[in-house]
Amino acid sequence: MLDPRRLPAPPGPFRREAWRSPLRGPWLTSVLGSVLLSGLTVIVLTGFASHVAYQPELGANNLGRTPGFLDFYVFGWPTRPSWLYAATQGLHVTVGIVTLPILLAKLWSVIPKLFEWPPVRSLAHGLERASLALLVGSALFEFATGILNVQLLYPWKFSFLSAHYYGAWIFVAALAFHLVVKLPVVARALRHRSLRDELRIDLAHTRPETEDDARAATGPTTEPSVTVPVAPAAATLSRRGLLVLVGSGSLALLLATAGQAVGGPLRRLALLAPHDRKTGSGPNGFQVNKSSTSAAIDPRSTGRSWRLELRAGARRRRLSRADLLALPQHTYDLPIACVEGWSTTQRWSGVRLRDLAALIGAGEGDAVLVESLQRGGSFRRATLGARQIADPRSLLALRVNGADLSLDHGFPARVIVPALPGVHCTKWVARMTFGAA
Amino acid sequence: MNALRRLYGAGPLQLLALVASFALAAAGLSRLLDAGTATRNVALWLIGAVIAHDLVLFPLTALLDRIAGRAPRARGVPAVNYLRVPVLISGLLFLVWFPLILGLSQRRYETATRLSTDVYLPRWLAITGVLFAASALLYAVRLRRAG
Repeated sequence: MLDPRRLPAPPGPFRREAWRSPLRGPWLTSVLGSVLLSGLTVIVLTGFASHVAYQPELGANNLGRTPGFLDFYVFGWPTRPSWLYAATQGLHVTVGIVTLPILLAKLWSVIPKLFEWPPVRSLAHGLERASLALLVGSALFEFATGILNVQLLYPWKFSFLSAHYYGAWIFVAALAFHLVVKLPVVARALRHRSLRDELRIDLAHTRPETEDDARAATGPTTEPSVTVPVAPAAATLSRRGLLVLVGSGSLALLLATAGQAVGGPLRRLALLAPHDRKTGSGPNGFQVNKSSTSAAIDPRSTGRSWRLELRAGARRRRLSRADLLALPQHTYDLPIACVEGWSTTQRWSGVRLRDLAALIGAGEGDAVLVESLQRGGSFRRATLGARQIADPRSLLALRVNGADLSLDHGFPARVIVPALPGVHCTKWVARMTFGAA
Repeated sequence: MNALRRLYGAGPLQLLALVASFALAAAGLSRLLDAGTATRNVALWLIGAVIAHDLVLFPLTALLDRIAGRAPRARGVPAVNYLRVPVLISGLLFLVWFPLILGLSQRRYETATRLSTDVYLPRWLAITGVLFAASALLYAVRLRRAG
């Protein structure tokens, strides 16, 4: 009987001699993989932190999803330090972008495996390859959707939030298996050739990794890696040079991006980032990501006739902007931190949420559903927990930097809560309903 | 144990870890394919992302690298890395920020942020120009030293 595993490899990339780079091999892959893993760890942890920060366990915040067992909530999101979400989400987006070159270099280093022949050696090998397809597919899916989302380009029909979140679970599952299989290989490869020695080797002395190197890395029980070239071309770049090249790609992305999360004078350096500059001059000239136009706010509904409706149980109260300004005013410097990874700290003034809760006689431990004048869109309303209401810096802001809020920044009144994602700091507030979450 | 290795092709730890990983991934996949009920669209993006990388982006960069490798050597100094560095950095910046550079989300972005996307293309071109100019300068210095 013809054994398909004995069939000769078809021509082209299925033949090992087609892969000629002298730099590929388990050592290089191990170095790139280790750096990639540290970046991915930050991205995954801050990503799940963002899920927790959205507090999907509260009232309106789950956006209509039926919670399954992947929608875990291990802890309530804190309000201290106030820059917490600005830091975690700034890291998520910035490290995500900076890690992309490392991901691409890592994939480049192992791409001969995509065409390895025979495609399946055993059941274990076939299943591992299926798992790798999930790993690479979910990784590229997560990077692509994340990078497009921060530029407000959504060329898909699914909900970004759900897809990016559940896609992350697939990625984590496939990565965990990959680590179980590969961490011993990485450890052996890095022991076999020390990083410090390798970084001293210049172009003239750069030699391909050999089958012996591969065998030393994979150990006695597994087939050695097919990434080692069997017919290597002469080196045109040292391994050190390749790592510098990848690093400079990451550095360029860092410089062109990080300023929108760090703020201050660095923001001007973020030449390609979407929130690199102010929208105008004056106290309301700072960045906005949902203008009154995109939220379809009718300016007439924010005029003299506007009232804030407070509700708790059967109690109702309607307050005009003058009524709110007559209440005790408090001022705090707090960041607006967006899920898209940029933030800006401004000086907000207004009424404490806990004063409003007391005014309507809300119960201890109540949550509050905040609804906007905005008619459509997932984030026209948000639920804040008891912890958010209790923080003295949580405000229904009426003014910013000493001036009335502009319409784009939420006039007549907006929520500002320390460490809360920007989309949950509802603008153009129309109604606040206190009660159990 | 040896029978497992012979029939299956790996040890029991690999099998256990694989089953656990597939179970969790399946849970994620079932929720993902459910996301916003656009099942086919999600699948398209998952598979499309792999195809875009493995069969478009990778062959394209490999081809570019092969072309760069043919760049003539002047006075024995190869030009290839003086091309690789600016092309790679400029290309990476484009790969990440092309929606802004090309203004693909122009209307939504400008309405939401009150900012214009017009600045990004000139900025990217300027960065690219500076990178190539710096690289050319360094190459000229190398040639002078070699000459």
